[in-house]
Amino acid sequence: MNNPYIPNLAVIRKITTENEANDIKTFELVFKDLEAMKSFRYRCGQFAEISVFGAGECPIGIASSPMDEDCIQFTVKKVGVVTTALHNSEEGTVIGVRGPYGNGFPLERMEGRNVVIVGGGFAFTTLRSLTEFILHEANRGKFKDLTVIYGARNPGELIYKHDLEAWGKRDNINLNVTIDRAVPGWTGLVGFVPAVLKEVAPSAHNAIAIVCGPPIMIKFTMPVINELGFPPEDVFLSLEMRMKCGIGKCGRCNIGNKFVCKDGPVFAYKELQMMPKEY
Amino acid sequence: MENLENSIREVAEKLLSEKKVDLIIGYERGTLPLRTTPCFVDKVEDIQKLVWNASCDANLSKYVVGRKEKVGVVAKGCDARLIAVCVIEKQFPRENVVIIGVPCLGVIDRKKIEMELGDREVLEAIVEDEQIKVKGEGFDLVFPKNDFLCDSCLTCKHRNPPIYDVFVGEKVPEITEANEFAEVSSLESKSAEERWEHFKEELSKCIRCYACRNVCPLCYCKICFVDQTMPAWFGKTNDLADTMIYHIVRAFHVAGRCVDCGACSRACPMDINLRELMKKTEKIMKERYGYEAGVSLEKVPPLGEFKMDDPQEFIK
Amino acid sequence: MKWKVIEKSKLPALIAELASEYEIFAPVKEKSIVSFERLSSGNEAYLGFRNTKKPPKEVFFPQTEVLFTYRIGEKDVEIVESPAVKAKMMVLGVRPCDARSFVLLDKFFSFGEHKDLYYLEKRKNTTVVGLACNHPLSTCFCTSLEGGPFGKEGMDLLLQDINDKYLIETVTERGEELVKKFPWLKDAEKADVEKAKMLSEDAENAVKSKVSVKDVSEKLDRMFDDPLWDQIYQKCLGCGVCTFLCPACCCFDILDEETEERKRVRIWDSCQFSCFTLQGSGHNPRPSGKERMRQRIMHKFNYFVKNHGESFCVGCGRCVQECPVNLDIREVVGAISTRQVE
Repeated sequence: MNNPYIPNLAVIRKITTENEANDIKTFELVFKDLEAMKSFRYRCGQFAEISVFGAGECPIGIASSPMDEDCIQFTVKKVGVVTTALHNSEEGTVIGVRGPYGNGFPLERMEGRNVVIVGGGFAFTTLRSLTEFILHEANRGKFKDLTVIYGARNPGELIYKHDLEAWGKRDNINLNVTIDRAVPGWTGLVGFVPAVLKEVAPSAHNAIAIVCGPPIMIKFTMPVINELGFPPEDVFLSLEMRMKCGIGKCGRCNIGNKFVCKDGPVFAYKELQMMPKEY
Repeated sequence: MENLENSIREVAEKLLSEKKVDLIIGYERGTLPLRTTPCFVDKVEDIQKLVWNASCDANLSKYVVGRKEKVGVVAKGCDARLIAVCVIEKQFPRENVVIIGVPCLGVIDRKKIEMELGDREVLEAIVEDEQIKVKGEGFDLVFPKNDFLCDSCLTCKHRNPPIYDVFVGEKVPEITEANEFAEVSSLESKSAEERWEHFKEELSKCIRCYACRNVCPLCYCKICFVDQTMPAWFGKTNDLADTMIYHIVRAFHVAGRCVDCGACSRACPMDINLRELMKKTEKIMKERYGYEAGVSLEKVPPLGEFKMDDPQEFIK
Repeated sequence: MKWKVIEKSKLPALIAELASEYEIFAPVKEKSIVSFERLSSGNEAYLGFRNTKKPPKEVFFPQTEVLFTYRIGEKDVEIVESPAVKAKMMVLGVRPCDARSFVLLDKFFSFGEHKDLYYLEKRKNTTVVGLACNHPLSTCFCTSLEGGPFGKEGMDLLLQDINDKYLIETVTERGEELVKKFPWLKDAEKADVEKAKMLSEDAENAVKSKVSVKDVSEKLDRMFDDPLWDQIYQKCLGCGVCTFLCPACCCFDILDEETEERKRVRIWDSCQFSCFTLQGSGHNPRPSGKERMRQRIMHKFNYFVKNHGESFCVGCGRCVQECPVNLDIREVVGAISTRQVE
């Protein structure tokens, strides 16, 4: 039987800085063992426990699309011990990866329907995975209209600028990128994500909404989602919690009787309404 | 003792009904023999819950820091001194606490009773007339109370709270004969190796539950040094070296502030004699700086301030 | 089920024989504290205790456990897994409440897609010899939690003290196999078995403390926002005594420690500690003692029930005895069961 606490080794192939503040970086990893690479089959919305040996482990959402078989990508914000150690690592460093863990986005439910993706700030990472996955030519036909609303504090804080540019050029996605307050030189949308969502007003008919963001964004976005008529069983949120084991054993990431690492991190809004408000 | 109980209730009731405080923090009957438990009373009709006896061992000053409302605290000498230390350290305004000073003749050390009884459980206990009467399955014994008081109480120099707003009852005579540093001197006379072995043996029992830290009113840091991660000062496993660092550094953190209330030793589930380390720092503070914590609201603990004439012959 | 007897005076000899084949953990008395230790030439089993200070969970779930060691080279990292458990282990002198905790922990650590092999391998490899309680403590409430002073769940053999002898009752096949290895053990007489039965009934009646756990689980569903929590937590110090001494509690932290050896370890953690759920962003969904106390009670009497069908408590009473401020979980459950809730 596999010991779930033993990480697979992976090499950092490439590091890209995502924001001006230089505290968000994307790490491109390749597993050392080819078998491990092949068996790391993941879904959009899942996460992995990343090890920096000596510093520890932390849960990071997978940013790459599962259609990308060449490597896996994680976008990491520098906030604590492990993430700082990761930011101080160089290309070529060997780190550990355990996973994939979590339930991921409900792709089967989304097929044949319009998809509305709403993300804010740094929480956009797994939404990027989802967007890339949907836009892939092998998948695009399975979903109907795709609306993406993504906002950050200012242009410097927008991540995946490369992808945003590429997506903007496509005609099979309604992309709305916004920043909180107007800044000279910015010609795109201005306004907080909830306000932009209200403006764009995607139809709730035959649609699924996926929302990820900091607690404050969620707090003001959910009323708009409700107003637009999305039924709670068709709205999904990805939650964050302090995690250690990632497999529902260390006991710290629970909300009620559910573990965010195992039964989540993606929860239907309807489900959340029945869970204790402890997140 | 009974009179004091009624007097405490009277004082508490007056303070609450006159709205001089929003909350009274005192003791109420525990669920086990020889135990009391902290009690938070904000309604006059609950005043009858308050008790006062030789099992009132919890340090209630713990519950004052962080509160926004005005509190009245039933305080023994050690508790009152700790409130004073927290006030000096600006942890809450003096005017927000009414110290209900109660003279104390010492609290019972349950661990001493457990040692005496072995595996026998106390099912009933009455403390009266300087005696502790304990009953259990197959035994009915009487112990002289003074033989089973906490060690910190045996040498207590402040049985009457030195700082208070209301004093309940009559002042009791202070202990003048006992040498409070006898234990420390005995340890000091041992060699460094012997002392190291002694502390290694004691502290190897530690299970890092942090009851000692959490029961201490002086440990009010929002993030304790144990939990800091950037940098992490030492490990959190029960590796002996890490465990010893925890206890030794905590002794330094409370040096000059500790009043030897004994709560840490009482709280320890593994019966570690934690007072030994703290007592040594207390001795140093007295001898070197002539300082005793919590007896004055003016004097800042020596390790909390710097004066040009501080002794510093150790700096070469 | 077979019954054998052994004279109390012969037990040390039996233990010595067992020690040649098993690594034995038994209660050992060190000054005032009785806890489970590995038996060696320097110590001996002490069975006159009421209950041990620390629960025997630490035999399968040590406070500090190395998950693996690693070596960091110039361009590589090598992970060295912890060696598989080789020696056969035995835990001797486990009270029925603690043995029952093994059943709860088994459920938890084997649940789901990912199994905790560190715990499970040790469990698989261990024979549990229980010791029935003739004299439950006033703080015992095992009978309120599907247990009892002569309970047999979670053990392979149950020793029952019938004065100058122990009755040995085999519970599992493993227990039977073990007893077969000692053909010199005498068969129990009818009188022995009847004596034990009498003592069992007496002991069951002696568990006076009753806690209305059954009413509480469903009620707690409606009590998450109840103002009762504002009262309950106030005297709690937020230390780890109740969780560390609880036979069922098993939350842990994972850290990398680099002393002489570089290793990843797991250590006991507690939902009562302030940093338990503190996130990197600084957000803490359980910012005060109130949320943390609520988590403890709800986990034990509601969440675990939902996930595994029973309460996560065995009624051993250690938390009641050892809480530095006498915060009594029995009172808390009582307050919940009598609370008026919509």
